[in-house]
Amino acid sequence: MDPQLTSQIVPVEEVRAIEECLSVLAENTGGNHILLLDKSGQVIAAHGDSTRQDVTALGALIAGTFASSREVAKLLREKDFRQLFTQGVRENIFIALIEDQWILCIIFNKGTHIGLVKVLTKKATDELALVLDRVREQQKARDDVLGSSFRTSMEDTIDLLFRD
Amino acid sequence: MALINVAAREIHCKIVYYGPGMSGKTSNLQYIHSQVPKDTKGELLSIATETERTLFFDFLPLDLGKVRGFQTRFHLYTVPGQVLYERTRVAVLNGADGVVFVADSQRHKMRENIASLQELAENIKKQNKNFREFPVVLQYNKRDVPGALPVEKMDEFLNPAALKLGWQRYEAQATSGPGVFDTLKAISKLVISRL
Repeated sequence: MDPQLTSQIVPVEEVRAIEECLSVLAENTGGNHILLLDKSGQVIAAHGDSTRQDVTALGALIAGTFASSREVAKLLREKDFRQLFTQGVRENIFIALIEDQWILCIIFNKGTHIGLVKVLTKKATDELALVLDRVREQQKARDDVLGSSFRTSMEDTIDLLFRD
Repeated sequence: MALINVAAREIHCKIVYYGPGMSGKTSNLQYIHSQVPKDTKGELLSIATETERTLFFDFLPLDLGKVRGFQTRFHLYTVPGQVLYERTRVAVLNGADGVVFVADSQRHKMRENIASLQELAENIKKQNKNFREFPVVLQYNKRDVPGALPVEKMDEFLNPAALKLGWQRYEAQATSGPGVFDTLKAISKLVISRL
């Protein structure tokens, strides 16, 4: 099968490494909310304000913004834009690309200087790039993770929920 | 590519509704949103122009609950269909696990359907994916329109037997519902089979 079509499986120990990295970044920058996204918009890990209900929509929109900026880069014959900064009245968002697969997003308020966020985010993206490399290397077989009867159970659930 | 988070025991899959402008991509998501149980769906998010045409994408997260211990989520997106948004479609298509191609059954729309399908193939290839192996389900929408092209005719243009693509295809009327869930079930199962 086309390797691009296989799933990306993030093992338990790597999720812990990611959470630790996000936690340190939040502590050092005073960031309110940090998200690690897949380029397709799916949230791999989130740290911070646990009352936030809109994380899924945030992930989709931020990944969309990044994918859109990539197309702008192509039009400008730029390789890609690896960082994006959005400034609000109360909160700011800084987004950085990790290789070509993940997106790190940090939401912080006016009390934090953007320079600090940039420097510390660079350190975090380097660490997360190593995690990504390990995730890519240790792809486990699907059945080891999901179990062989997963597909049948999933099809039953789809039939049950997706109907008029 | 689908994402399996072993620690959180979550699976995320991305499905994109693609097709020419006004073919009914947003209508599909609106109908699904109106029918699925409340605890299965999130908010339907639409980034549209003042005239309700899709500008960037529509987004509908569906949470299927726990299956064999894994919280399973499908994220449905539409692309903006109008020709000028070609680059935006590339952006939305990024990382998709499967595509529903929504074709307009009206006779005069066939040229647009073909152009859009060709563009989809190009865009999938640009992501270094093999289009022949990529999960695609066809939906022939607006079957209720007077003078709609016969499905066999649409197959000739969009799913020709000679190409042996083997795509499933469903007839639909997305605004009122027939065919919408058949299409969604088909693409969901196809995507799950490729996990």
